[in-house]
Amino acid sequence: MLESIFFYLFGGLATIGALLVVLSRNPMHSVMWLIFCFFNAAGLFFLLDAEFIGIITILIYVGAVMVLFIFVIIMLEVNVARMREGFLHHLPLGGMIAMLVFIEMASAGFSGVFSAEQMGTAVHLGQEVNNTAEIGKELYTHYLLGFELAAIILLAALVGSVVLTIRSRKDAKYQNIPAQIAVKKSDRLRKVRM
Amino acid sequence: MSKISFPYPFPEHLSIIVPEMFIAVMAMTVLLWSLFLPKEKNYIAAWMAASACAAAIPLLLSQAGAIGLTTFYGFFILDAFAVYAKLILLLTSIFAIVMSIDFMKKEANAGEYYAMILFAVLGMMFMISAANLVMMYLSMELMALSVYVLVAYQREVVRSSEAALKYFILGSLASGIMLYGMSFLYGVTGQFDFQAIGIALQGVGHNGHLAVMVGMLFVIVGLAFKLSAAPFHMWTPDAYEGAPTPVTAFMSVAPKIAAFALFIRFLVEALPAVQHEYIPILTGLALLTMAVGNIAAIAQRNIKRMLAYSTIGHVGFALLGLIAANADGYAGVLTYLTIYLFMNMGIFAIIILMRGKDGFKGELIDDYAGMSQKRPIYALAMALLLLSLAGIPFLGGFWAKYAVFIAAIEAGHVVLALIALLFSVVGAFYYLRIIKYIYFDQPRGEFEISDNSTMQVIVTVCTIMVVVLGLFPGPLMELCHQALIGLV
Repeated sequence: MLESIFFYLFGGLATIGALLVVLSRNPMHSVMWLIFCFFNAAGLFFLLDAEFIGIITILIYVGAVMVLFIFVIIMLEVNVARMREGFLHHLPLGGMIAMLVFIEMASAGFSGVFSAEQMGTAVHLGQEVNNTAEIGKELYTHYLLGFELAAIILLAALVGSVVLTIRSRKDAKYQNIPAQIAVKKSDRLRKVRM
Repeated sequence: MSKISFPYPFPEHLSIIVPEMFIAVMAMTVLLWSLFLPKEKNYIAAWMAASACAAAIPLLLSQAGAIGLTTFYGFFILDAFAVYAKLILLLTSIFAIVMSIDFMKKEANAGEYYAMILFAVLGMMFMISAANLVMMYLSMELMALSVYVLVAYQREVVRSSEAALKYFILGSLASGIMLYGMSFLYGVTGQFDFQAIGIALQGVGHNGHLAVMVGMLFVIVGLAFKLSAAPFHMWTPDAYEGAPTPVTAFMSVAPKIAAFALFIRFLVEALPAVQHEYIPILTGLALLTMAVGNIAAIAQRNIKRMLAYSTIGHVGFALLGLIAANADGYAGVLTYLTIYLFMNMGIFAIIILMRGKDGFKGELIDDYAGMSQKRPIYALAMALLLLSLAGIPFLGGFWAKYAVFIAAIEAGHVVLALIALLFSVVGAFYYLRIIKYIYFDQPRGEFEISDNSTMQVIVTVCTIMVVVLGLFPGPLMELCHQALIGLV
């Protein structure tokens, strides 16, 4: 009983948050509502005993991805008014896609495949099972090679992105400290005969 | 928390993964060491990277006795097939790194360039040894990410960035499609190990058939993208033209070796149950690839673009070996890749030598007019390599095509082999056209060939190998057959 109350609370708030993402006029508000939505989604994971995925959702989506979104919005100065200009123009295509997706989901929902009898209910495994510890055991033993390879991919991506962006601009006024220290008296001083 | 027991023992047979560990450590060493190298000494980083690849070869050969051993709980497999494929991969990488020395002389951040090459090599070595879907995807991503960066390396050059962006977007799409396909295969079989999938697919009845087909098709699409097989070849000409020439040389051979090795292992271990379904798909791919590669190459004026289409054409021919689906066919693919390595590396070494001091001379086919009068030795080497690519008898390229065509005919695909022969004749036209420019046209300008002794060594080695393999193909073909023992 308490569980379904929380389910409807998290689910409802997530839906409201998602709606406000689309409806907000200010892109920064949209980002904030998306963060709100993610927190509620994480709450749903907690209800399923998947506390590890819940925490990861908050850490990665809220902590990293959304911060990136905020940076992009700050740097690009998104002009909302111009984005809304073509609204009516794009409405037929967008509306059609939305209707198609809606029909698909509705027909899948009423097809009986997702009825209450067909669905396995989430079984609570009890307190002695620790999700995080279990995932850790598998990840660092059986899947160790894949994990290490993913780490190398991360390193390669990191080095690659730095290499592609680190070009000193010719017009940038950086101090070249080694050059300043290495300078000699004869380089700067000139005797002027008066 | 203190009572956590690990369900798996310490991995056995760790020694078979030593070459990969060595390359990984050396990649990071090059990355760090290059920070302390002054710009004019960045050739040291190149020689470090090249000697890392060279030193990995004896490490690999010391494990050659390991037949089908796995380590890390079945994630990594080493058999004779993997040893041979890694051998030609490392050889390609050494050539590509040595070719880069002159090219990267004036570039900043050369150390990262060589480290990225080593990361790509590492990814490809894991591709060759991948034994399950997890390793397959991760290793392909490591290879792809490193190659995207290498293609974009000259950021001031607009076409380089454009090429890398196209390659990156299409590559991400292909990865996504492949992952989707993998999810189908995993969903149907509940396994992600190739052999376990193969066993599980034997028992899949009519109900799971559609899901298996979709999964198989999508994974083949992902692999075909890496092979640049038509219709997934769109990125190839742009990426080849835009990338720095040594990178083009590298990516025209090395990823093809790794992708073919992975493709063969995937087909042999995971999909034997659906062989009747995948052979028509591969036949369609091969026909389209041969057609696109050989016909579109005729219209090209830029030699790098032409070689891109030539690569596509050769991938189409090599696909015949997969369609034959027997030991002869797979051995034919290995033979093909080995000979193709020497032909392509030799040609690209000459193209890099042609690059004069002023910009990009030597990229248009016209630039080679009258080469025989100014530089007869280079002209002879180029002519031999081009004739070999065209498949003229008694040069290496002939035996490469012979090996896969015969395998396809033996497997009963006579019509397909005849069509391939026809496209091979079409393909000969554009190779011979360059020879016509070299030998029968008047020179239109000065040849500013930068005589570089290491590059001359590469050209000489490649040309001699093509001629020697053309005269004595027996030992190579025997070696490739030996490599397949245990796999097929």
